[in-house]
Amino acid sequence: MIIHLEDINKTYHGAVPLHVLKGINLNIDRGELVSIMGASGSGKSTLLNIIGILDNYDSGEYILDGTLIRNLSENRAAELRNRMIGFVFQSFNLINYKNAVENVALPLFYQGVPRRKRNAMAMEQLERMGLADRAHHLPGEMSGGQKQRVAIARALITNPSLILADEPTGALDSKTSQEVMEVFRQLNSDGMTIVIVTHDPGVGQQTNRIIRISDGIILPDNV
Amino acid sequence: MKTNLFDIENWREIGATLSRNKTRTFLTAFGIFWGTAMLAMLWGGAGGLEGLLRRNFNGFATNMGACFPQRTTMSYKGYNKGMTWQLNDADISIIRRISPYIDLSSTMGFDGATIKYGTKSNAGRITGVEGDYFKMQIPVLYDGRLINSSDVSQSRKVVVLGKDVADELFANESPIGKYVSVNNLYFLVIGVAGQKSEASIGGRINQSAIIPATTMRSAFNKGDKVDFFVYTARPGYTPKDIEPAVRRAVIANHPLNPADKEAMWFMDISEEFKKVDYLFLGINILALFVGVGTLLAGIIGIGNIMWIIVKERTQEIGIRRAIGAKPSDIITQILSESMVLTTIAGIAGICFATLVLSVADHITYDPRLGSAHFQLPFFHALAILITFLILGTAAGIIPAIKAMRIKPIEAMNDK
Repeated sequence: MIIHLEDINKTYHGAVPLHVLKGINLNIDRGELVSIMGASGSGKSTLLNIIGILDNYDSGEYILDGTLIRNLSENRAAELRNRMIGFVFQSFNLINYKNAVENVALPLFYQGVPRRKRNAMAMEQLERMGLADRAHHLPGEMSGGQKQRVAIARALITNPSLILADEPTGALDSKTSQEVMEVFRQLNSDGMTIVIVTHDPGVGQQTNRIIRISDGIILPDNV
Repeated sequence: MKTNLFDIENWREIGATLSRNKTRTFLTAFGIFWGTAMLAMLWGGAGGLEGLLRRNFNGFATNMGACFPQRTTMSYKGYNKGMTWQLNDADISIIRRISPYIDLSSTMGFDGATIKYGTKSNAGRITGVEGDYFKMQIPVLYDGRLINSSDVSQSRKVVVLGKDVADELFANESPIGKYVSVNNLYFLVIGVAGQKSEASIGGRINQSAIIPATTMRSAFNKGDKVDFFVYTARPGYTPKDIEPAVRRAVIANHPLNPADKEAMWFMDISEEFKKVDYLFLGINILALFVGVGTLLAGIIGIGNIMWIIVKERTQEIGIRRAIGAKPSDIITQILSESMVLTTIAGIAGICFATLVLSVADHITYDPRLGSAHFQLPFFHALAILITFLILGTAAGIIPAIKAMRIKPIEAMNDK
């Protein structure tokens, strides 16, 4: 089991407290391709942020690949994100003044990998994504699908235990979405654990398991 | 960020960030440039102004005093006020005996003179001095030697010609060993001297013929009269400390009312130097205030620009943090940019100030008086640069820390 969430609660303390996750229990095994689906405000993005150590939870227990994730310092959280998790976002989140190789190599930069080595590794990942010829192009010079594949290459560069994708096809047309999902399926068939947050049923259907969340509660599995 | 100075990507990132908004970077850099330049110019300029004034006193003893007889302002022992009187050898002898604070001293006498050599003549002046005179006002010796105590004690008929007098009478010929006529008496020329600076006591050396005081009195029928008396105070004392002994000696010898302070005028060069010191203390304080103001304006500019840069890059900071950048990595990156900008603009500012000061030094250079020292010492330049660097970096810390307080996910969603 790579992800173990037990009785996770999360409340946003604004003018009116908002209890967004209510006792979430969830286990995801290594090598699964899982989608988390739900309406806007259901808590699916908050759940993904907690899984991705981008946000804290109030109570419960979260174990990621055998590591208890609780009250981590910013430095420790950054280190775990860097080494264990690859992120893919709806808006790609590439750095627009860096070319594809530099974007892909960036997580290795924070591991202190020398430039030549990290650029060579980034090139390998871009070749794997079929983007070798776009390696020295800036994000602004690439299509949406190409940008997302660069983002996936960046997520894979540190050889993480887990890929978390937040609406990875949300900004893409249907044909490109299919291409991106094909990449995810290929990665999953190679043994990579992938969790995708989406509200697109078409995307959900292409995963092995759909976790439905509504009003901060996980509904029973229907896949 | 693993800050490897030799990782070109660090430098490329800094370059890319700074070059993305050229106008803003230029304006910030100009603020720092101008701040450092102003500070450096003020510092170097204040030193140059001081040098400009102080070089007028080159060769002049800073603890020199002089006593000049004046008309009396009070009647005394049957003598009406308004009486004139003169110092004499007896006064000087007593003064030298009873004043423990006198270090060097010389009597001085003056007269108008026609100095002739061959067919050429110069209408100038003669000054009678003692050996110590040239220790109190050190001249530039162009040729030969100066008057010494043997010349004085033996009343030798020797003369040191002022540079202008020598040039007029001898042109390119060396006057040393030649005889000149001073008011129809022949004197052996032993030296040619000139002023080291603008300041002088008893007239400019350049336009004088200087002879031993004893010779002057005997050759020109001055008797035992002394025109005035110059002296320096021993270390730890000022010319002011010598005044009471001088007054006591003079009053004992002359019918002067002890209450008549106006009957003698005392000049105290140390007071003039003190005024110069106060003036430059004031200028330095003013320069400090203006400099600190300039510095603060520059630092606020850096702080503002770093704040804008951080705000603009919130999303990028979020992305970097999501993929593994630690807070210290981000802070280091932001501060590196601030430091690079400050260093480059600061060095440029100091170079510019050095250029301006160098031009000022060149313009005010006087072959006789030398440089006024419109210069910025290396360590002052370094101090300005380091101060800007430290404060500039500190100004970038606040925006950087604020940026760190935003959660990565919120930062990524920042528009």
